[in-house]
Amino acid sequence: MIVPFAHVLIFAAILFTMGLGCVLARRNLIMILIGVEIMLNAAAVALVGGSAYWRQVDGQVFVVFLMAMTSAEVAISLAMVVYLRRRRGTLEADRFDGLRG
Amino acid sequence: MNQTLLFLIPLLPLACAVLNMLFGMRLPRLVAETLAVSGVAASFLLTLLFWGYADGAGTHALLGTWLPVGDITIPFALHFDALAAPMTLMVTGVATLIHLYAVGYMHDEEDYARFFGLLNLFVFAMLAIVLADNLLVLFLGWEGVGLCSYALIGFWYQKSENARAGTKAFLVTRVGDIFLAAALLWLFALTGTLEIAAINARAASFAPEVLTALTVLLLLGACGKSAQLPLMTWLADAMAGPTPVSALIHAATMVTAGVYLLCRLFPLVSLSPDGMAAIAVVGALTALYAATCALAQREIKRVLAYSTMSQVGYMFLAVGAGSVAGAMFHLLTHAFFKAALFMAAGCIIHLAGGENDILRMGGLFKRGPRELFWVFLAGALCLAGAPLTGGFFSKDGILLAVYTQGTPLFLALWGIGLLTALLTAVYTFRLVYLVFAGEPRGHGHPHDLPLLMRRPLWPLALLGLCGGLLNLPPLVGGHEWLTHRLGTLAGREILAGHSIEWALAGLATGLVILGWGFARWRYGQFRGEQENRASRFLLLGWRADALVDLLFVRPFTAMAGLCAIGCDRALVDATLDGLARQTTACGERLRGLTTGRVSTYLAGFVWGFLIILGWFLLALVK
Repeated sequence: MIVPFAHVLIFAAILFTMGLGCVLARRNLIMILIGVEIMLNAAAVALVGGSAYWRQVDGQVFVVFLMAMTSAEVAISLAMVVYLRRRRGTLEADRFDGLRG
Repeated sequence: MNQTLLFLIPLLPLACAVLNMLFGMRLPRLVAETLAVSGVAASFLLTLLFWGYADGAGTHALLGTWLPVGDITIPFALHFDALAAPMTLMVTGVATLIHLYAVGYMHDEEDYARFFGLLNLFVFAMLAIVLADNLLVLFLGWEGVGLCSYALIGFWYQKSENARAGTKAFLVTRVGDIFLAAALLWLFALTGTLEIAAINARAASFAPEVLTALTVLLLLGACGKSAQLPLMTWLADAMAGPTPVSALIHAATMVTAGVYLLCRLFPLVSLSPDGMAAIAVVGALTALYAATCALAQREIKRVLAYSTMSQVGYMFLAVGAGSVAGAMFHLLTHAFFKAALFMAAGCIIHLAGGENDILRMGGLFKRGPRELFWVFLAGALCLAGAPLTGGFFSKDGILLAVYTQGTPLFLALWGIGLLTALLTAVYTFRLVYLVFAGEPRGHGHPHDLPLLMRRPLWPLALLGLCGGLLNLPPLVGGHEWLTHRLGTLAGREILAGHSIEWALAGLATGLVILGWGFARWRYGQFRGEQENRASRFLLLGWRADALVDLLFVRPFTAMAGLCAIGCDRALVDATLDGLARQTTACGERLRGLTTGRVSTYLAGFVWGFLIILGWFLLALVK
């Protein structure tokens, strides 16, 4: 393996943190979804790195699942984004506070 | 004939009561009234028919088992003997006449089915007391008459003072009932049975102090029902009920239930000299107390109520002096003449247009129907104990029984009895003069009296006048029929020389004449009644209500207030309310956390994640 495993993990961690930062900092629903995608991809990178390091195929299988799941998630969440935009006329996440106690 | 048919005597009124209560308002009025009267009248005829069953030791009738508890069974059983038979005859007979009177009296009453249903139910309960073979059946009747009395005193419950009078009667008699229940349980614990005959038979084996305690408990129970000291405050207020109720329940029958109870258990009671003395003292003091109160009363029915209390006191005195025959004799004659007096009083109030203050009556001799005057006078003569009337012989018998006891205590009680006889004559003739003599002082205009309100008075007045024949002493050529009839149940035999009997009879006659003379002098011409402290004191019944209020009601209310405010509200409620308030405040504060914004929740996630991560890192470092 050309790239050391530690570098792969550090890269995945940086990617994850950036995704998390995006989710926490942004208020636009689409941007939050993009942040979530980045976090998922960071996890995928870590899995692929682990698979290459231990020479096991499980990690790559997981990543295939992850991609399928991600595409499904994106399909649903974008549909909801369109619906919410039509209904409330905004995508500001803080405006959707119907669960306030 | 079958002995079980004896059960028809109490059950016929019960059946009519149930029918009247369930369907009375749907039946034509005449049918409902006929049902009520005929149920009681049929009982009366049946009692006459079964009279022979009372001979000897009496007849025992068993209907079925009431309470099977373990190896003890309490049956529905009746005992028809020489003590129960005259009482049954009196109750059914007087009740029949009063029912007839009530049909006339309640002519304009809308709620007749309730009235006649309750009246019939009362007769059933009273007959249960009279005929009971065991004390539990007696207690059933005892509570039954209390319930009917309560419901009938407050019959016109729309006026709250009537309802209050009913509640007062119920509560005060309930105090007595508790003592009776305690006596019953104690007797059951001692003998394992509640059968009256068995208890009487085994009474001799009890310890003397147990006997005394039992007698005092029974006496207190009897005091509640019979309105004797110290549980007498309810009877005068009970006059709030309709007049037939006052006549039937609060003069003729229910108030004598206490006397009957003591007579029934006389073999037990008589074994305790202290208990007997207590009974006699209670009777004599009540007789005097009530007679003094009757002197100053202004309402006609209250005068009669206090006189009832006083006469029942005489009956207690007779039981205390050991003369069951004397007590029963006075009970029977008193029932006749007092029912007549009450029903005549009902007629008088009717004629006066609802006025019951005797100071605003007067002149009824000239204006009212003459027969009413004669009936009332007959009743009054009996009450005052005028010679040769029923009341004279029965009261004389009691005073003789007390006198022949001979101990200083009984001689003192005899003196009280004589004084009471004098006072009785005074207040009775005061009543007669104030109601009938002189010119009318009220504004009432004469009404017509229904025939049904006039006719039942005659037989009762006659029975009162001739009641002496029931137990005419040998002194004037009688055979003491009642005493012989009671046989072994008659109590102590009264032995006195003829000279003493003549002297006592002469003394009683003198007292009646003295009382009449005083009343004639004082009330013959109406001069108004000036109110002073003494008469107010007597009018209020020696302020007994205020005393009860001070001794029991106010401490009770204060205690209840303390419990309600100090304990319940300050301790229990405050703790629970405080807990609830704290929880609510906590929730209010926590509520701020749920903003409903996704970003807040995500931040929460992250902080939680970081804390967990930090925790693991710390563990790793260590």
